[in-house]
Amino acid sequence: MSGYRLPHGGFIDRSRRLAFRFDGKLLEGHPGDTLASALIANGVKLVGRSFKYHRPRGILTAGAEEPNALVELGEEGRAEPNSKATEVELFDGLVARSQNRWPSLAFDLMAINGLAGKMISAGFYYKTFMWPAAFWEKLYEPLIRRAAGLGRATYATDPDTYEAVNDHCDVLVVGSGPAGLAAARAAGGAGARVILCERDSLLGGALLLAPAVEGWRQEMIAALETMPDVTVLKRANVFGYYDHNCLGAIEKLSDGAPGAGEPRQRYRVIRAKQVVLAPGATERLIAFPGNDRPGVMMAGAALVYLRRFGVAAGRSAVVFTNNDSAYATARGLKDAGLERVTVIDARPTGPQAPGLAVRLASEVAGFDGRRVEVRRRGGGANAETIEADLLCVSGGWNPNVDLASQSGARTAWSAELASPIPGAPVQAERSAGAARGLSGIGAAARDGLTAGREAARLAGFAGAADFPLPEDEPPALAVEPLWEVRGRGKSFVDLQHDVTADDIRLAHREGFSHIEHAKRYTTHNMATDQGKIGGLVGAAILAEARGETPDAVGLPTFRPYTAPVAFGAFAGRATGDRFEPIRRTALHDWHIRHETVMQRAGAWMRPFYYPRAGEDAWTAILREARMVRSGVGLCDVSTLGKIDVQGPDAAAFLDRLYANAMTTLSVGRARYGLMLREDGIVFDDGTVSRLGLEHFVMTTTTGEAAAVLEHMDFHAQTVWPELDLTFCSVTDEWAQISVAGPRSRDTLMKIVAGLDLSNAAFPFMAVGEGMIGAIPARIFRISFSGELAYEVAAPSCFAEQIWEAILEAGRAFAIAPYGLEAMGVLRIEKGHPAGHELGGFTTAADLGLGRIVKKAGDFVGRILAERPAMADPRRPRLSGIRPADKAHRLRGGAHLVTEPTSSESLGHVTSVTRSVELEQWIGLALIEEAESWRGKRLWAVSPLHDERVEVIVTSPRFVDPENARVRV
Amino acid sequence: MSASDRSRPESALAVFERPRSLALLIARKDKADRLAAAIRASFGLDLPPPGRWVTGAQVDATWIQPGGWLLEGEPSAPGAFRALVAAAAEGLGAAVDQSSGRSVIRLAGAPARAVLATFCRLDLHPRAFGPGSAAMTRVAHVVCGVRLADATPSFDLIVASTYARWLIEELLEASARHGVRFEPALKPYRSAMPASGPM
Repeated sequence: MSGYRLPHGGFIDRSRRLAFRFDGKLLEGHPGDTLASALIANGVKLVGRSFKYHRPRGILTAGAEEPNALVELGEEGRAEPNSKATEVELFDGLVARSQNRWPSLAFDLMAINGLAGKMISAGFYYKTFMWPAAFWEKLYEPLIRRAAGLGRATYATDPDTYEAVNDHCDVLVVGSGPAGLAAARAAGGAGARVILCERDSLLGGALLLAPAVEGWRQEMIAALETMPDVTVLKRANVFGYYDHNCLGAIEKLSDGAPGAGEPRQRYRVIRAKQVVLAPGATERLIAFPGNDRPGVMMAGAALVYLRRFGVAAGRSAVVFTNNDSAYATARGLKDAGLERVTVIDARPTGPQAPGLAVRLASEVAGFDGRRVEVRRRGGGANAETIEADLLCVSGGWNPNVDLASQSGARTAWSAELASPIPGAPVQAERSAGAARGLSGIGAAARDGLTAGREAARLAGFAGAADFPLPEDEPPALAVEPLWEVRGRGKSFVDLQHDVTADDIRLAHREGFSHIEHAKRYTTHNMATDQGKIGGLVGAAILAEARGETPDAVGLPTFRPYTAPVAFGAFAGRATGDRFEPIRRTALHDWHIRHETVMQRAGAWMRPFYYPRAGEDAWTAILREARMVRSGVGLCDVSTLGKIDVQGPDAAAFLDRLYANAMTTLSVGRARYGLMLREDGIVFDDGTVSRLGLEHFVMTTTTGEAAAVLEHMDFHAQTVWPELDLTFCSVTDEWAQISVAGPRSRDTLMKIVAGLDLSNAAFPFMAVGEGMIGAIPARIFRISFSGELAYEVAAPSCFAEQIWEAILEAGRAFAIAPYGLEAMGVLRIEKGHPAGHELGGFTTAADLGLGRIVKKAGDFVGRILAERPAMADPRRPRLSGIRPADKAHRLRGGAHLVTEPTSSESLGHVTSVTRSVELEQWIGLALIEEAESWRGKRLWAVSPLHDERVEVIVTSPRFVDPENARVRV
Repeated sequence: MSASDRSRPESALAVFERPRSLALLIARKDKADRLAAAIRASFGLDLPPPGRWVTGAQVDATWIQPGGWLLEGEPSAPGAFRALVAAAAEGLGAAVDQSSGRSVIRLAGAPARAVLATFCRLDLHPRAFGPGSAAMTRVAHVVCGVRLADATPSFDLIVASTYARWLIEELLEASARHGVRFEPALKPYRSAMPASGPM
């Protein structure tokens, strides 16, 4: 046990205690603690096992860069793996478990992997487990998965809710350190709408470690609170910077107290006119043997635990540094009363440090958790050992360039910092403060003020607010780049993925010398911490191996996300029933009230069938189909696309749009219409009705309604802009009801007024307007079933009244509704192509519709439909099939072959159903040389079902091939 | 969310359907100017430019597409409003009845902007979307007209009638934690929601 709580200090509420569990053990902390600070305060040193070697690991950092302290939080549906203990705010009742250890954290049998390290070096899974191939899936992969990896995701449903929100602002400020606070106040004071995002629960960043400027921090926060157009978001991490100044953030709302009614997290999509990036800097690691041992901590983090949480991370400390910043940690630890604090500074000269024991020109060559091996820079025999349970490390500071880099700005190299800094902006952004390489609170605040003013000015707010800034600190001595101290043992560059300095050199030796190749070969930087502390160290070691400088090697591309994001947050409320929009016809409630089985078709809900008591699906469907063939039925066909077309050139436009002629259509008549794509393939079909000389209404299939309208818009706007016409969708305006069957006329004649429905006055394909009660309706004598049939269209707010009126009128003929599946039975019997026949691979001739295509005049698809392969007479053509044995069933998708064992396909089955006329299964199929197979036998084979059915090839028109019934 | 939550008296938000007569007016080729003059002569109203809507004594007009406006009046007999607009636009544009095709849903209350921000990407801040503003966009994944109706703020959402229930359900769910009451449309207008409630 080494860490402990100091008697005073920190932004914690010592008057209250919070109980939590770690690996089952009950511990206590205070409000204001993170899980990490509370664990250290309780003397917990070992918090996890490493990814590959299962080495013991302790808390290394105090923030998002943490590679070691990954824990599983919560239970059941709230279980969340890979949470960084440094980022988890403590709450009463928190439950956390360590990960990747078996059977327990202290005694991990998998640690033997560390001894077998030679075998599982970088790229080991590309080499070791290659042979035999069959072993991969059954043996190697499960073995690796058990041994490696992090926490486990839960399969339970997440009980919490999430929300997604769109935000807009003039100036977005990322980070609330001295630069961020100053930028937000400057921009807000100028009158801009400002959003300030701070990932921490407290505002201030580095100010929280500087008691001397606490007053300034509080004054700045108070000033921001008075500005109505400044929104301050805490616990909000900006995770990605996308095109058009669009950024993504996750705001944690009730992670601490789940189930309180608020969403747990809010996903924010922020569109900002200008962005100020002030996310600060991250301290970098130094590679040396044992730099992953529990007890190693980043020097800045040790200061955070002191100042922010009132926690000392150890009792006796060595501070290993190559720059001045770690001296503040050494000073703080000494002031906190640690037994011994020794500074090991790699540089020949250091800053004035009265009272501190400092070894200059020295380096740490090893650490075993209790003893630090110290020697003169460059090695030699004069090594000494210093007892210490805390080894603080500072290899310098890297400006956090990830968001700037994601925005498209290339990084520049700062020789002074030995680190990349943001380069010239590409989008409307600028970095400020430590994020662009400045050091010191005063300098950062001044830079933030300038950046905030400039951002506001560019967003159109020129007012210049002024406020006092903290004083500048004296200049620091230069950092001396130090990437690695070589020695015996593993020196890590990526602690989360267990990548060592030797792995980087191995990658180079094996030819993976490009930084992006080395990254993928070694997995360096690929863990959830994205190499924040060791990424540059690995790059520098690669540079040395290549004989180049780190700036020549560069860093891998920065990509979203800067920190992991829960899928639930992206989904927001769009889960379960609210996953995607549902479209309902005006008759939906009627269907639901009558216990209709509904079927989703795209966004639509459509009536599938209407079962009566005791009926199974097929019984109901076949009853409905028989009813239409023998009596009368009605069907809700409102989902058909309907487009109103008007204007002097409407007829000419439709003539070019459809493959068959439309100018010849008379007023008061409807016509089948076939539309091709530009490439000559069938696009869609429907009917065109001429309501007036310059007024048409056309229908499309349900599925292609939006695509057809878009196709029309494209041609009207760009191809034939000279045509004078207007059109718009009226799908939602008109409810449409099919009334089909021999008694359909008798039914409608009872209720339709003002329109003579007799066969002579209103023949097949006639269109007219009449009244049903007080409701104006359009009547179309068209048929999809092959029976005498009408479609009745009425404004959809009257849909139920019309539907009920038809039901009442047809009662004497035992009318009842029929659904989508019975409609399918009827159209397959009739040989009408639909869904699978219009699948984007058939020509008009393939479907037996070649005769209706215009011989003269142009239309969309004409030219390309004439290509030789499109006109090839051997192309598969629409045919009917039925099993030779009436007892057999058919399968959609089955292939047609001459012998049951043949693998030479002549075509495939597109639609199947149970015919009510033939009382057996029938199907539509596309068959090569279809005419020559008529009346002959083939085999329909479905290897998926292990079925072979002998079938007879027929005409696709199983019912009324002369089309007489529709004309009676 | 229970029905009682939605109808509690302190509800900060109200969602209700507005029965309206609607006609889509589309200008014929090269006749937008003459159409605007004809509408001004008939209804005393200037057809608004993109992103705007205007209210008149008899008719409101909302820009909805290039050369296209949604004209709006009090509920009337089937086809009557369309005929009125068609007569005014004779030879200059097409008037297509959308009284049953579109639903106008009002969201009113102080948190309305926060609710809309959960599924509408537009900037609805008063500086960006002031009086007279209208836009065609997506709300809750469906194509929707959005306009600022008053400074409460109240917003009108104009959506395909077949998506009206989907949108109302989304609005009620997004509004639940602010407190919301729902008023279905009065007869004879067909409500988008079944009488027994939305869920």
